[in-house]
Amino acid sequence: MSIRSAITQNKLITLSEAVREHTHDGQQIATNGLPVGAEPVAFARELLRQKRKNLHIVSTCASSGLNLLCGAGAVSKMEGGFSGLEVFGFANGIRRAVESGQAAWEDYSNLAMPLRYLAGALNLPFFPANVCIGSDIRNRSAFGGNTNGNEKIPLLADPFTGKKVGALSPLKPDLAVIYVPFADAAGNAIILGSEWTSVELSRAAKKLIIIADNIVDKACIRQYPNLVRIPAELVTAVVWHPFAAWPNSSPGLYDSDEAHVRELNAALKTEAGTQEYLEKFVVPAETPQSLRKLIGEEKIAVLTATPSAFLADPYRKWILPEEETEKLLNARKTSIEIK
Amino acid sequence: MDTKFTRQEAMAIATGRELRDGELAIFGVGLSMLAGYFAQENHAPALRSFTEGGVFGARPVGGLPWGIECTRISSNATSFSGAIDALGCLVASGRCDVGIIGAAQVDKFGNVNTTGIWANGVPDASFPPPKTRLNGSGGANDIACGCKRFIIMAAHEKKRFVERVDYISSPGFLDGKGSRERYGFIGNGPSAIVTTLGILRPNPQTCEFEISGWFSFSSPEEIRENTGWEIRLSADAQQIPDPTESELEALRRVDITGALRKS
Repeated sequence: MSIRSAITQNKLITLSEAVREHTHDGQQIATNGLPVGAEPVAFARELLRQKRKNLHIVSTCASSGLNLLCGAGAVSKMEGGFSGLEVFGFANGIRRAVESGQAAWEDYSNLAMPLRYLAGALNLPFFPANVCIGSDIRNRSAFGGNTNGNEKIPLLADPFTGKKVGALSPLKPDLAVIYVPFADAAGNAIILGSEWTSVELSRAAKKLIIIADNIVDKACIRQYPNLVRIPAELVTAVVWHPFAAWPNSSPGLYDSDEAHVRELNAALKTEAGTQEYLEKFVVPAETPQSLRKLIGEEKIAVLTATPSAFLADPYRKWILPEEETEKLLNARKTSIEIK
Repeated sequence: MDTKFTRQEAMAIATGRELRDGELAIFGVGLSMLAGYFAQENHAPALRSFTEGGVFGARPVGGLPWGIECTRISSNATSFSGAIDALGCLVASGRCDVGIIGAAQVDKFGNVNTTGIWANGVPDASFPPPKTRLNGSGGANDIACGCKRFIIMAAHEKKRFVERVDYISSPGFLDGKGSRERYGFIGNGPSAIVTTLGILRPNPQTCEFEISGWFSFSSPEEIRENTGWEIRLSADAQQIPDPTESELEALRRVDITGALRKS
């Protein structure tokens, strides 16, 4: 590999650089993940540290990250299929924001969201759907109608049979932030567990940041190209961040930190509780190392003893040690400075 | 063994009995997942199941899964796919035999609200924020449109069993007989509402839900008192048989953390 290609294939930046360079107030940002699943919670924490406001968050399912952003008052619009925390109950931060009118939640179903991403990805004007029609999801809009004064999901006649279908509007989020357990420094990403809506989202977004728990050697990518569902060609930047999905679980890597999901959600019930939480768990979690310290080695040992750990075994031998990942990160910084 | 059981357990077992061997079924998280895996453990070993997360062939490990793709449901799967596959190719397509969904509010035509509660219903002209935000449809709307039939599980309280839901998150029979046909849904609608007091089923002529069964610890009167519409007793209504010892054993093998025994 020539030096030039080694540099251009290295897209590693820090979490704080990613937020500083690629986000702004009022931006439309999409994130991946199922409720309390593997999603980029670390990115939400950094958005709050950099005091981003008026965000428009797109997410098939909301989870701990959006709950936190909403509780802290950083969100004005959301669209998605589900706003709850599954067995952990209602998301208090989202509830408080929606019920007070501070943020509007536009409802779709969990299938409608990835179909909208797919329409965006294929550059189609709409996606025909046989779901969401006949319910209030079709005509009730928290955003006050859709683009150009259209209904939220207009009913159309299928040109072949005359039957009714719903026209889902396409989504091309300004920025997508997708959490994965493994990626190489160029952004070739491997997902463990359900792909959920990450693959369609990665194709729909105008810009894509990958947040990976582990950076792996390119040899890993070449060994399992079938499993690389997000190729580097789509990726703008790569952030290395162990425990980026904490306190949620990440199949193959760690279980849900049940106590902390509950503590976080309880704190978001009130403004005062939220402030206290931010000071305790968001402000000091600036780097991967400081997040690790906050979680604590004792808890990390428990969380990583997951019954799903075997899922990660085939990839472990290619995980770059922390020093090497940091070296790559610095090499990129140096190369940018030289330019 | 102790033959006593909780109302939650009776409800889970009654739901599980609705599932037949060999069917293709989709489960959500919590109660519906326990009911589904109970059926597989008890009387439907060839039931084929998947979650809307696109997790196939898995059984929960280490306790009730936190979510539909978490590590507890990802430790013995045979395939991981995604939402378009699970909710689209298998559910919205009409391929899936049966789904189980929950409800915060359900009405006499089996329409389900999981989106929000408004103070005096939703005005026609505007769409103000709800007084209480619920979770939204998730995949339940897709299941209600596409599955050949679906079962609704709900705690039986008057505030939940209403004449008309505030918001239709997932379509039941909409305005009654013939309404679903207006939208050409491939699924046939809700086949049962299993509650903490009994089982309601739609009248074939009107699609209005009626009392089909009550538990040994409840009665048609108790169901009527806790239902917000004038609910009829169906012609063949009867008491639901108590869970048998072997059914309880099967359920408790699935519900290893005793989630259904806590209330």
